[in-house]
Amino acid sequence: MNHAESKVVEGLQALAADSPRQAPAHVEARLLGEFRSRSRARLRNRWLVFSGGAIAAGIVMFVSLRPAPAPTELHKAPVSQSAPAELAVAPGDDTATGEVAENFYRLPDADILPPLDSAVIVRVQLPLSSLAAMGVPVDEDRASESVQADLLLGQDGLARGVRFID
Amino acid sequence: MSNGLIDGDDDLLRRIARGDEMAFLTFYRRHQGPVYRFALQMSGRSEIAEEVTQDVFMVVMRSPKQYDSRRGSVAAYLYGVARNFVLRRLEQDRPYLAALDDPDSGHAQLAATGHDPLSDLTRNERVESLRRAVLALPTAYREVVVLCDLHEMDYADAAAALQCAIGTVRSRLHRARALLAEKMRAEERCAV
Repeated sequence: MNHAESKVVEGLQALAADSPRQAPAHVEARLLGEFRSRSRARLRNRWLVFSGGAIAAGIVMFVSLRPAPAPTELHKAPVSQSAPAELAVAPGDDTATGEVAENFYRLPDADILPPLDSAVIVRVQLPLSSLAAMGVPVDEDRASESVQADLLLGQDGLARGVRFID
Repeated sequence: MSNGLIDGDDDLLRRIARGDEMAFLTFYRRHQGPVYRFALQMSGRSEIAEEVTQDVFMVVMRSPKQYDSRRGSVAAYLYGVARNFVLRRLEQDRPYLAALDDPDSGHAQLAATGHDPLSDLTRNERVESLRRAVLALPTAYREVVVLCDLHEMDYADAAAALQCAIGTVRSRLHRARALLAEKMRAEERCAV
């Protein structure tokens, strides 16, 4: 390193010492706000996945214990995507088979839950083996595949009914 | 910035991936200073430095697993991310930078300040003059000066951050210092 270069390096050291040491505090505040909002969203998503899984597990358990409905009825049942949730769970809409309107099957715990003020329908994937548990003939080779089902969730986020989409 | 393994940056990144706010805060406070300084020294503008710092840590927040310890230190990784954001911003502000990258305009700017930057300069004047000279360097030279001289980064880490060979860092640094020395001499001549 020659003399001129040494002088430059010396000057650069002074420049380094003169530079600000920290980013302004509002950068940290903004990032922290973003982190918190992402954490909240992540928690919400995790809860949805967890509750969806728990509900699906509950459904599998329920359908394996209850008397199986006629399989053909289940498969041929029309699927009404746009059916309002209120219609699907109209009070006093029980049938002898436990099925609610618009082909939703009432879950056993739904009877002890508060009445519905509002509801949402959430689509989830269920293993095909859960259909077999309901008495629907399922090709064993496809038992590991999954099918779509709609869950009817009340204003408290708890499931009242389920319908299968073929 | 410090070595990832010794100071537990890897662990912090794992905890950040799980949504641990304290881990993110610790990681941010540990590394924000160098990232901010790097962006400021590269751009010469505090608003760009703030934006870049925020962008870098947003990347950490969104993809904490993106860092691969086999490819270099956490510091090199963060400088590399910061560099990409800085270059993107500099590209957007090309007209402004064109003036800075032009050696003649750099000298003109230095000479036009009306100060006598070399004869009996105060330390502040000298530092300010050098700061402008660094900003007037072409980007490829400026980044090696900022990393190796201002941030005292070793050649290997600088090469990792800049994604180039160590030899390239060495040669660019040598050339950059020569350019700075030349600029200082030119200033001297202007001042006389």
